[in-house]
Amino acid sequence: MPQSRNQALALLSRWTLLLMLVLYTIYNLGPILWLMISSLKSRADLFAMPPKLVFSPDFSGYQSVFGVGAARDSASSVGVFDSLVTSVIVSTVGTAVAVFLGTLAGYVCSRFDFRGKGDFMFFVLSTRMLPPVAVLVFYHMMFARLGLADTRIGLVLIAVFINVGLATWIMKGFFDGVPKEVEQIAFVNGYSRNYAFRRLVLPMVKGGIAATAGFCFIFAWNEFAFASILTTTQAKTLPVKISTASGATGIEWTQICAAGVVLILPVLVFFYLIRRHLLMGMTFGVLGRR
Amino acid sequence: MDTRLEPRSTGTGMIIGFLSPTVILLLFMVAYPIFSLAYYSFHDFSALQPDKGMNWIGLDNYIYLLSDTGIWKRFVFTGKFVFLCVTMQMILGVFVGYQLQKTFRGRDVLFTALMLPMMLSPVVAGFLWRYMLNSEWGVVNYIVTLFGFGKIDWLGQAGPALWAAAVVDTWMWTPFIVLLATAAFRGIPETIYEAAEVDGASAAYVFFRVTLPMSAPVLFIALILRLIDSFKQYDLFVALTGGGPGSSTETVSFAVAKTAFSYFYTGEASALAVILLCIIMGLAMILVRHLSQMGARH
Repeated sequence: MPQSRNQALALLSRWTLLLMLVLYTIYNLGPILWLMISSLKSRADLFAMPPKLVFSPDFSGYQSVFGVGAARDSASSVGVFDSLVTSVIVSTVGTAVAVFLGTLAGYVCSRFDFRGKGDFMFFVLSTRMLPPVAVLVFYHMMFARLGLADTRIGLVLIAVFINVGLATWIMKGFFDGVPKEVEQIAFVNGYSRNYAFRRLVLPMVKGGIAATAGFCFIFAWNEFAFASILTTTQAKTLPVKISTASGATGIEWTQICAAGVVLILPVLVFFYLIRRHLLMGMTFGVLGRR
Repeated sequence: MDTRLEPRSTGTGMIIGFLSPTVILLLFMVAYPIFSLAYYSFHDFSALQPDKGMNWIGLDNYIYLLSDTGIWKRFVFTGKFVFLCVTMQMILGVFVGYQLQKTFRGRDVLFTALMLPMMLSPVVAGFLWRYMLNSEWGVVNYIVTLFGFGKIDWLGQAGPALWAAAVVDTWMWTPFIVLLATAAFRGIPETIYEAAEVDGASAAYVFFRVTLPMSAPVLFIALILRLIDSFKQYDLFVALTGGGPGSSTETVSFAVAKTAFSYFYTGEASALAVILLCIIMGLAMILVRHLSQMGARH
């Protein structure tokens, strides 16, 4: 009976595909779950073999990250908590400035045709392709000369630099979605373009600005290459602190796991907030045009 | 009554005012450094001893680099790494993306959840996997032994370390391919599938003859972006292997950082950075040409 054999084959291939998707999901999400579980383990439980799934939770890793309790990191020059503060300040300020600049540039690129616009857009995009180590050789010397080495201000400059191109592209996409008639109504009524931009267009892209800020924050928050080379003691961010978290007893896994979860949490929040704009932002508007 | 549809000013002031902060910042942070980099690359110069000054040595840095087997090893390793992880990401990403364009309950939740690894810090990813891949007490080896295999020293040997790094990079970036692939697949008009169904085409035939070709432009962009990103990978190796064992997992980016900030051979590091930059700019140019072609079609 060829009919039933075909049906059996179709069913089999459907189950195989489903199994593969399930396996991929485990590969994709398992490590993140494992990190969250491990962050609550005591030192002894972390290295238990076979791995323990039932254990009494231990918060010493989190205590050191948030600077409370006896576990407060004192051995190194910058504690984990100070790194967390640095990360929050640098990412927040850097994101705010990058989104501000990106909004201005994005609006102009969306509404005007001017000479060199294509070159400008490409130049701005190319900053994302640049290998950090290429410019780091120069930044290392420039930051030392300008007194920006190992400072939070220096890292804010970096956070703005790595994000302004992305912010410009995403914001251009959102401005493209606002009909030109909005401004024309303002012109007809005798208002200037500046007024139309601030009072009419800007409120219409509020969601877009929030999404752009979410993206920029995630990139600034995760930035490592620049921060690791340009900071030594005073302005280490949390990712840099994690990378150097080895104490007298080897790598401080309890601290690393807890700090890892703390690094993930804001990403999860922003990620949830921008989930509907994911496609728009990550593909530089290429797909949005369809 | 004034019924103009254009504002009184031509907007030149606004263009200059709104763009100049970004232009100045980027010229200062990109153009200036790259010109300096090119300048350093022709000099014998160390950032550690700026007093010794710059001695013009022409192409000596480049000649030294290209005749040094150590550098070729970094290029070969980077090439292997790029090939392995981009291949795995493209295959996995297209597969998962195809499954996710079908409608089923909980699809959007699953889709969002699967994007997570891409949003993590590569340093966290590196340490997380280093923890899981530990040969003695890592959970990966525990699973391996459950299936009756012997423990593998993942990060302690050059061969397994390459695979481990590729698996971690694939873990992080397959979601990116899934994202673009799903978007591309969903953009294919339903009517084409309906026509194929009427013709009695098999699912495999439809996938290889309709879905893949029609989404090829977007998949190509995804491929180039991943080539560029994995070629300059640095953060992951700092956390995952530290370049070891020995120097077997050092990428070209890693070598630039080491030459510049461990040995302070600034001139030599600059020359290597220029080479790295040229390769990436070449890839970026292909991308841009492709992007503008796509733009012209829409």
